Amino acid sequence: MSKLISYLARRLAAALPLFFVLPFITFCLMHLMPGNYFDTLRLNPQISPDTIKKYEALYHLDRPIMAQYFYWLKNLLRLDFGYSFAFKQPVLKVLGSRLGNTFLLSGVSFLMAWLLAVFLGLWAGMRRNSWLDRTLNFAAYAGLSIPSFLLSIFLLAVAAHWGGLPLGGMRSVGYEDMSAVEKCWDVARHLAIPAVVLGFNSWGYLFRIMRAQVAEVAERDFILLLRAHQVSEMKIAVKHIARNALNPMISIFGLELPSLFSGVALVEIVTGWPGLGQIMLQAVRTQDIFLVLGNMVMIAFLLVAGNLLADVLLVAADPRIRLENAQAPYAPVLLRRDRGKSRTEIA
Amino acid sequence: MLRSAQHDVEGLSMTRVLGSLSFFLSFLLIFPHSGFSESHPQNTLVVSFGSEPKSFNEIVAQETSTTDITGLMFEGLTRFNPETGSVEPRLAESWETSPDGLEWIFHLRRGVEWFDGRPVTSGDVVFTFKKLIYNPSIISAARDVFTLDGKPIAVEALDSSTVLFRLPVPFAPFLLALNQSIFPEHVLQDAVSGGNFQSVWGVDTPPEKIIGTGPFKLKRYVPGERIELVRNANYWKRDPAGTRLPYIERIIGLIIPSADGRLLKFLEGETDFYVLAGTDYPLLKPREASGGFSLKDPGPAAGSYFLVLNQNAPDPTRRSWFQNRVFRQAAAHALDRQSMIDIIFNRQGTPQCSPLSPAIPFFYNSKVPCYEHDPAKSRDLLATQGFKDRDGDGFLEDKEGHAVEFVLLTNAENPERLQMAGMVREDLARIGFKVHFLAVEFNMLVTKLVATHDWDAVLLGLTGETDPHFGSNVWRSDGTLHFWNAGAKVEKREWEMRVDKIFRQAVSVMDRSARKTLYDEWQDIAARELPMIYTVLPRVVYAVRSRIENVRPTALGGALYNIEEIRIKE
Repeated sequence: MSKLISYLARRLAAALPLFFVLPFITFCLMHLMPGNYFDTLRLNPQISPDTIKKYEALYHLDRPIMAQYFYWLKNLLRLDFGYSFAFKQPVLKVLGSRLGNTFLLSGVSFLMAWLLAVFLGLWAGMRRNSWLDRTLNFAAYAGLSIPSFLLSIFLLAVAAHWGGLPLGGMRSVGYEDMSAVEKCWDVARHLAIPAVVLGFNSWGYLFRIMRAQVAEVAERDFILLLRAHQVSEMKIAVKHIARNALNPMISIFGLELPSLFSGVALVEIVTGWPGLGQIMLQAVRTQDIFLVLGNMVMIAFLLVAGNLLADVLLVAADPRIRLENAQAPYAPVLLRRDRGKSRTEIA
Repeated sequence: MLRSAQHDVEGLSMTRVLGSLSFFLSFLLIFPHSGFSESHPQNTLVVSFGSEPKSFNEIVAQETSTTDITGLMFEGLTRFNPETGSVEPRLAESWETSPDGLEWIFHLRRGVEWFDGRPVTSGDVVFTFKKLIYNPSIISAARDVFTLDGKPIAVEALDSSTVLFRLPVPFAPFLLALNQSIFPEHVLQDAVSGGNFQSVWGVDTPPEKIIGTGPFKLKRYVPGERIELVRNANYWKRDPAGTRLPYIERIIGLIIPSADGRLLKFLEGETDFYVLAGTDYPLLKPREASGGFSLKDPGPAAGSYFLVLNQNAPDPTRRSWFQNRVFRQAAAHALDRQSMIDIIFNRQGTPQCSPLSPAIPFFYNSKVPCYEHDPAKSRDLLATQGFKDRDGDGFLEDKEGHAVEFVLLTNAENPERLQMAGMVREDLARIGFKVHFLAVEFNMLVTKLVATHDWDAVLLGLTGETDPHFGSNVWRSDGTLHFWNAGAKVEKREWEMRVDKIFRQAVSVMDRSARKTLYDEWQDIAARELPMIYTVLPRVVYAVRSRIENVRPTALGGALYNIEEIRIKE
């Protein structure tokens, strides 16, 4: 246990610079864009340039870039993420009000996609080149290549045509008067279209990885040996092939954590899901700098946390891997191969 | 047809792709589907908003997504009636003014209560002005409106229901400006003395703490999703039969960022209002009878859309062309406004001639000269100024042989404007101008317009103002938005001095018809001298569910300005 804690502490310390560098780069990039948040006020004939100067002074936008950055950094150390110009509220409050919604949407869609990818990938990988494999492959390519906004609009139009599912949003108009069960059902119905769109997209990618892994493991000598020992096909598939093929899928589980928050914006906007995507897009466009930076810090945190989670999950799932040599598996396939080939034994 | 294909490429953006897709997909809809969903609550108006409110603090708010909501909860001493163009009493019942227009006494309506039951007093009015608007530590746009010649207005309570305003100089739109909301002293004074007013009444404030006097109060706000307002049962206004207004029990505002989403929700019967974009018109018009809604068309939009040439451009040659009135008139004749209306707005638009839109009641001058589409006339006009195609390349050269070539900018976020810029470029190419079109970020455009001034031509829009005076920052040569001659570096011409004088004079004349005469002259000068070359105004069309009664939308006031009089037929 103490080993685990010291390991986690070391990894977190190593990741610390990320929290300074990533916002700094974002900060510089935002400053490369001309103007600032208050430019939208400049074309209002009823607002004087003096008023705009006062706003800039209030938020230190009249200071040099480095001064602004260090001012923000100083506050960050006290966990003060700064202030959103648009909402006139602390950034944490603004992010907090949407985080749950985005997490619900991306979490449900990713979990669905992951589970389906594992099962279907195993199935297809075991029956390569069958009609089933071909169909699933085709579907995976479709999932990878159909733009999510297009699929959203298509599904919304279908729902509008046949009814049955709500057209965007997260809750019905009469939500407050529903019972707890009805409320859950209501949110689930609203979740269906955006979750399917997002899930279909990541399923395509996950399915292809799982299928390739299964195919690779299935060719190994020890599987041949198991077959020769008359071990049942079911047992081979579930106990030996699936367990060996699963490692990269577990790494991906952790690594996908940050992308859960960055990849959903477009679908959120098209389907009217009240998540972070909408406000982040607006924040970048209007240069609501601290809101963007706050989001960056959050994504950096999720990246680190996701990596750690991936490591811990890997250790838990595969006793051959120990914490000392567990590395952030940025290239999950390579990682598995290195370890797999030298250490795989018949269990 | 070739023409429209060309424009499509130029105006291509995500919004357009989404727009046209949904346009086709929407034909899938069999309408009416099943009428309203069963869950449509009784006596409830359901509307959709494109963006969410950012706070409920109207003093520091800068965006209409906030003021659209706070406008239902707060009221000013007066109110502008967009149908008649006149100012009506609201929290003030009556008023009187001294002959010089410097002193105004307002008598507050008796018996008006805040949501928490406390009476509205003159103290609240004084508090709103002295402690909020003129508070040096609170930054707000209202202070700019109420700062006259650099001086504040003195506000004093004569008794609990009488307020005296003492103006430093006469200010004709004063009554109109007093639609400024009044805020409760007993609720906000702690925030003001504690120095945290700037962040008070944010979107996370418990609804019952937001106290106004308006027809509706906040019930619930789910960030980014939904806003609910309920009827203020103690609202002061009654209908002629003595029934307390408003009639509607509840308003639910759904926040739906995508225009396609808003359209689908309306077609499905979930929402009661929809503001049409030009492309929606052919889709909705044929469904009007069967779909249980009607289209209401209050006329052209209230703003202005124009091409402006920088008479103070860095390049001396271009500067000299743009300063030439005949050159600008030739450009005005070159614009094919009817095609813009047909192609961009699906025939739902009007050519704009005056700097004021016809949507501005009373002050709009309909007799100003218009520039009909006539490329031959443009060429003739240009020839009188020595602009000829001297080298046979199809483009004009000036007397010194410089090719007439410049850059046209517009902001990239607005697909309609991108399309319009493409058409303007093509129209100008027809009379021999070589125009390079560049779409830039909004902030970049603003920086160029108000700070660096390094631009040739810009296609831009401004929102409509209720009184011409509020545009004086654009028109007066010392104004901060005097685009075409920023900083008045070019020596003022006679007509510019006249415009300066008109704006200075009209703000101090109390007689409305005398003001109209002055502003008529300004509109006439603007149309002749063309510092801004006006293009077209889209028509504002609202689709309104038939069960909603007494809706009288105006382009300037929107569909809900008379919200307390709107009824729902169950």
